[in-house]
Amino acid sequence: MLVVLASCHDRSARYLVERWAAFGAGMITCEDLSVAGWRFWPSSPDASTAVVDGRVVPCKDIVGVLTRLPCIFPWELVRIRPEDRLYAAAEMGAFLTAWLSSLSCRVLNRPSAACLSGPNWRPEQWARAASSLDIPVKTIERSVHHGATPEPGVSEPGSVAVTVVGHQWFGQVDPSLAVQARSLAVAAQVDLLEVRFSGCDAGSRLQSINLWPDLARADLADAALQYLRGESPPLPHRP
Amino acid sequence: MILLWGMSGETPLALVHRALERHRAPVFVLDQHCFLETELELTLSPQVQGTLRSGADWIELGEITSAYVRPYDSRLLPEANAGPDGSACSHATRLEDALLCWTELTSALVVNRPSAMASNSSKPYQSVLIRSFGLDIPETLVTTDPNAALEFWEKHGSVVYKSVSGVRSIVSRLNSEHRSRLQNIANCPTQFQQYIAGLDYRLHIVGDEYFVSEIFSDADDYRYASRKGGSLEIRPASLPQDLVDRCRALVAFLGLHFAGVDLRRNQEGKWYCFEVNPSPGFSFYELATSQPISDAVARLLINGH
Repeated sequence: MLVVLASCHDRSARYLVERWAAFGAGMITCEDLSVAGWRFWPSSPDASTAVVDGRVVPCKDIVGVLTRLPCIFPWELVRIRPEDRLYAAAEMGAFLTAWLSSLSCRVLNRPSAACLSGPNWRPEQWARAASSLDIPVKTIERSVHHGATPEPGVSEPGSVAVTVVGHQWFGQVDPSLAVQARSLAVAAQVDLLEVRFSGCDAGSRLQSINLWPDLARADLADAALQYLRGESPPLPHRP
Repeated sequence: MILLWGMSGETPLALVHRALERHRAPVFVLDQHCFLETELELTLSPQVQGTLRSGADWIELGEITSAYVRPYDSRLLPEANAGPDGSACSHATRLEDALLCWTELTSALVVNRPSAMASNSSKPYQSVLIRSFGLDIPETLVTTDPNAALEFWEKHGSVVYKSVSGVRSIVSRLNSEHRSRLQNIANCPTQFQQYIAGLDYRLHIVGDEYFVSEIFSDADDYRYASRKGGSLEIRPASLPQDLVDRCRALVAFLGLHFAGVDLRRNQEGKWYCFEVNPSPGFSFYELATSQPISDAVARLLINGH
């Protein structure tokens, strides 16, 4: 079975679950974390059980997980008393970090200790990583003053996306940009990444990074499916 | 220059500050209570640079050679929730995020970087890392299934429950009163752990130095012994060298320069490791044992980079 871990409001996740129905795809939302049936033994994770679409599933039956959440959002925990939602969200997120880390199947992206999918770096940290890979970056400035209104993020016109899914990449760009995007994914220890550049030519500057690209596009959805089913190789990550 | 960031008056921060003053080390104190008077300019190009101001004091970020960071969640500061428009809270969170960003990027020694501390935000996640260093952990179950919890309880006879996340909770043993409330765990995954009877130890690792405290208490969670009317005595102690070495290797793997490792020796002499605390409240042990932990932290910070 394939599992998509997502917000209950995530339409792309619903699209993927429907598209992957033939492969037994199901969805885990925060609702499922408030259903009796989860059993997780950190020392013997293969014996654990999960709750997918409200049903109890042996974890050994799960062949791949797509994670579309950085954390559990307290405001989605409508079954929990409002005063307990912040605590419950932290507990559920901590549980999922351990559970996702324990899975021996493909997980796109694997969690870090700080995020349910990948490292969730700040723009400055991505820029530092990119810079160390000789990818051109712009200067990033932050100014924090009480009373000053933070400047809204401005999306620069003409940016072009490269989406990395394991060894595959998608985007109408010079292949050198795809190589750079893939290097950045390796540096961040992730297999799914959208990298936006200032243009499609070699030497274009890094603009932004997205660990949760919209996969509601046939080619990206198929690439993610191949990856999760073990039909395409992962990037060479550190053990 | 050494940066101290946290709540002024908080004992661990105050002890380290005092130790640095004894060493006549230059210190810049960033008091979280004063966040409304704090400003930060941060630039990445690609080196991280900028200026930090607090009231009339300021410092170039490049001058900072080490930092001891113990910030509390800015959103919970009373000052952040004052005022009608939420601007104080917004400023507090933006300042916190920018400073945390700096701690991740600076070449200064940071005790400890948030990314290194993160494993403690999921206890079962961290326990797997602990076990990979050859340290035993108590048998653990995280579940939303009351029947599974009941089976686990019956198997082990005595079981404790505690938070899964880094949110501090009082470790408590299950008793007959909990039986009727076990149904509630269906709402949220709950962590149960085999109770290990024995003696508690706290190992503080500070760079290359370490300090061991032995804790005698009749409480399930000795940190709250006085509140629960229990007994508590803390003494300096020693540990088998092999155990210390494993703990040091684990702490180094996690990227921590300073950590508190919670250990217990059971009645048969077997050692268990419960947790690696990346921001230890070491003053609790230092004040009870007179071990110079704050002095070791000060030396670590003075050596910097």
